[in-house]
Amino acid sequence: MKKKKMVISQETMDVDFVRKVEALSGTSVRRCFQCGKCSAGCPMATFMEHPPNRVVRLLQLGQWQRVLAGRSIWYCASCETCTTRCPNKVDLASIMDALRKLSWDAEGASKESYVQLANKLFLQNIRTYGRQYEMRLAAVFNVKSGQFLKDLMLGPKLLAKGKLKMFHSKNKNMPEIEKIFTRIEEMRKKGEAL
Amino acid sequence: MSRIGVFICHCGENISRTVDVERVAAEIGKLSGVAFATDYKYMCSDPGQNLLKKAIQEQKLTHVVVAACSPRMHEKTFRKAVEAAGLNPFLCEMANIREHCSWVHENREEATVKAIDIVSMMVERVKKNRILPGITVPVTKRSLVIGGGIAGIQAALDIADCGHEVILVEREPSIGGHMAQLSETFPTLDCSQCIMTPKMVDVANHPKIKLYTYSEIELVEGYIGNFQVTIKKKARSVDEDKCTGCGVCMTKCPQKKIPNKFDQNIGMRTAIYVPFPQAVPNTPVIDRDNCTWFKTGKCGVCKKVCGPGAVDFEQQDTLVVEAVGAIVVATGFDLYSIDEKPKGSPIKGYGEFGHGKIPDVIDGMTFERLASASGPTGGKILRPSDGKEPKQIVFIQCVGSRAREKGISYCSKVCCMYTAKHTMLYHHKVHDGQAYVFFMDARTPGKSYDEFWRRSIEEEEAVYIRGMVSRLYQKGDKIVVMGSDIAVGVQVEIETDMVVLATAVQPQKGADLLAQKLGISYDKYNFYSEAHAKLRPVECATAGIYLAGACQGPKDIPETVSQASAAAAKVMTLFSKDKLEREPIVARVREAGCVGCFACKKVCAYGAVEEKEIRDRQGNLIKVVAYVNPGVCAGCGTCQATCPSKCVELDGYTDEQIIAMIEAL
Repeated sequence: MKKKKMVISQETMDVDFVRKVEALSGTSVRRCFQCGKCSAGCPMATFMEHPPNRVVRLLQLGQWQRVLAGRSIWYCASCETCTTRCPNKVDLASIMDALRKLSWDAEGASKESYVQLANKLFLQNIRTYGRQYEMRLAAVFNVKSGQFLKDLMLGPKLLAKGKLKMFHSKNKNMPEIEKIFTRIEEMRKKGEAL
Repeated sequence: MSRIGVFICHCGENISRTVDVERVAAEIGKLSGVAFATDYKYMCSDPGQNLLKKAIQEQKLTHVVVAACSPRMHEKTFRKAVEAAGLNPFLCEMANIREHCSWVHENREEATVKAIDIVSMMVERVKKNRILPGITVPVTKRSLVIGGGIAGIQAALDIADCGHEVILVEREPSIGGHMAQLSETFPTLDCSQCIMTPKMVDVANHPKIKLYTYSEIELVEGYIGNFQVTIKKKARSVDEDKCTGCGVCMTKCPQKKIPNKFDQNIGMRTAIYVPFPQAVPNTPVIDRDNCTWFKTGKCGVCKKVCGPGAVDFEQQDTLVVEAVGAIVVATGFDLYSIDEKPKGSPIKGYGEFGHGKIPDVIDGMTFERLASASGPTGGKILRPSDGKEPKQIVFIQCVGSRAREKGISYCSKVCCMYTAKHTMLYHHKVHDGQAYVFFMDARTPGKSYDEFWRRSIEEEEAVYIRGMVSRLYQKGDKIVVMGSDIAVGVQVEIETDMVVLATAVQPQKGADLLAQKLGISYDKYNFYSEAHAKLRPVECATAGIYLAGACQGPKDIPETVSQASAAAAKVMTLFSKDKLEREPIVARVREAGCVGCFACKKVCAYGAVEEKEIRDRQGNLIKVVAYVNPGVCAGCGTCQATCPSKCVELDGYTDEQIIAMIEAL
């Protein structure tokens, strides 16, 4: 994907997605003239396959799949150095935020970093228990991500310090919590929320 | 015994960095005839000049040598200072120890020795300098403007408004030039015709402007203030005095399918034609190569239908001689063609872009004609091949320009802006279309220019892709553009309906030939050279000839108009005096020794050598000798070098002086 030839046409340039990013971040990607100052100051740029300036460039060309397929948006530390220094008032940190939000539903988004998996499990737990149940979160995450032994040795230490509980406790007001989730789901269906 | 004053300049550090100026002054002070030698930080500055003046008066100096920069830079400055101190200015000479010494050497010791040599040579030469009286020549207060584009029109109007007569010569049947071809102009998007045609009409109606269209410069003789210009009026085959411009001849002409050069050969015209409806003058021309009458001797329809009887098949080319005092050259530009390269041309073609064989690959000027409301499509953007509206359009910048391998290394300056304008015009006319631009840099250094370029991207939705296109090829009725986006670092492929190339700006064809007629210099691309890139940008090195517009180098309209007005101001400065002072560095013939072989006349590039009869008191012819007209002589010295009997001497550079210089070494 990274080096694949880019075929540009009105069909392959997904302007609607870019408009969504612009609406969500409140900034315009068209303003960017590719000076590279964002990438120059980015502390995480060395870890990204698309440095920040290229993320904006790909958005200009409506090539969001290329951006979301990579891990750049997940390595972004939201330090906002790029936004602070941009000569064209492109709020790149907000764009990164918007991309992370939009990647939830987007097809072909990167699964590499398991951030989305963690997010999903986190919310599932909240929905089920009304609060977080770390033991289950860790166990299910390890199973689903296929890394069964990940951070296993950390468990006893956390248990000993009382940071991790063996059994879950439940919120008393579960119907209220369920209401919040249903409302957001309905809004998402109508397109009112992400 | 002469009392020579020698002044060594440090030129800040330019000279003193490599030359021990104090030692030079000390050494030169020991030479015979040198009464005073000193050094100073900036001789050209006010205190430096005052030092010079003071020394002349206090030391009673008879000659002056200033050892500093090139005489091209400051000879006038110091001669003026010397004159102010009461000496004849031609008793002052400059020794060039900057360009010829300090700038080109690193070794301080050797450079100092060389500087001493250079200065002592000039000391020996200046000893033999004579007092030269100034030469004055009359000025003909009429001016010639070559080229009737926006540059020529502006210069002509400015000079004429000042009350001086102007002769405006245009090669094409109408004035207007390239600007008349444009649709809208950056960065304000005002219609080119709307701002151009009023000026064209002003030219036609101006009582002080004499307009020669469909005419060319045949011969230029003379010198500043006194040029004789022979103009060839090509046979129009239509009597300009009789023609009313009704246009019946054009509607009746049976030859209707001739490609119109004004419409970049997309639109068609008749054999008797005006290039465009707003032409000035509105008198048609018969294109004899395509006219049935001139090809077969039959037809003559235009003559039959012409009410005032203006059509005249018998008309011949005529030569007109005009006397003028100054010439403004404003011949403008032409566009690089990507067609296969012409034989003998140093400029290469673009095989990778199909050598101009793909019909929907057009150049920027053709796009202008398509977008122009008065163009062949009435302002609709349509493909030349099938007349369909292109829904995808690709613009490629820097085609020819900045391509050393193709033979042009300069930037054409206007393409970035006009391409941005093209994307806007396209977006305004084809709402559901998409414009792409392949570019290397966007060079927009003008008032409101960068904002205009950004607007094309941010508001008019043009997609700019930084990276060049490597190849174009036809695929069905589409053109495949293979390029790259260097910001992303991947290859890019676009299937498009039309491609517009921003081809390089070049001088007009035949610019070199005109330069040779005028005796002005031009660079390797045939752009005319100015006398000084920064301080004399509108004057030629040849006195009395000025430059305006793109004939000097690529320029946009505001710049062209500014330069045209500047050239007009220079002409008016020249015309402000009745007599003109010239440098008296001219050749003189020693008539007693001249044998009248006229070898000098043959080699003189300026036509300054005349024949002079010498008669005794009874009027009997003794002999014919050469005579150098001091008004024409440019002081090049070719005659001096040629004369077999050593009877021509150039003042200030006599054989005696040159030998004295050599002996000083």
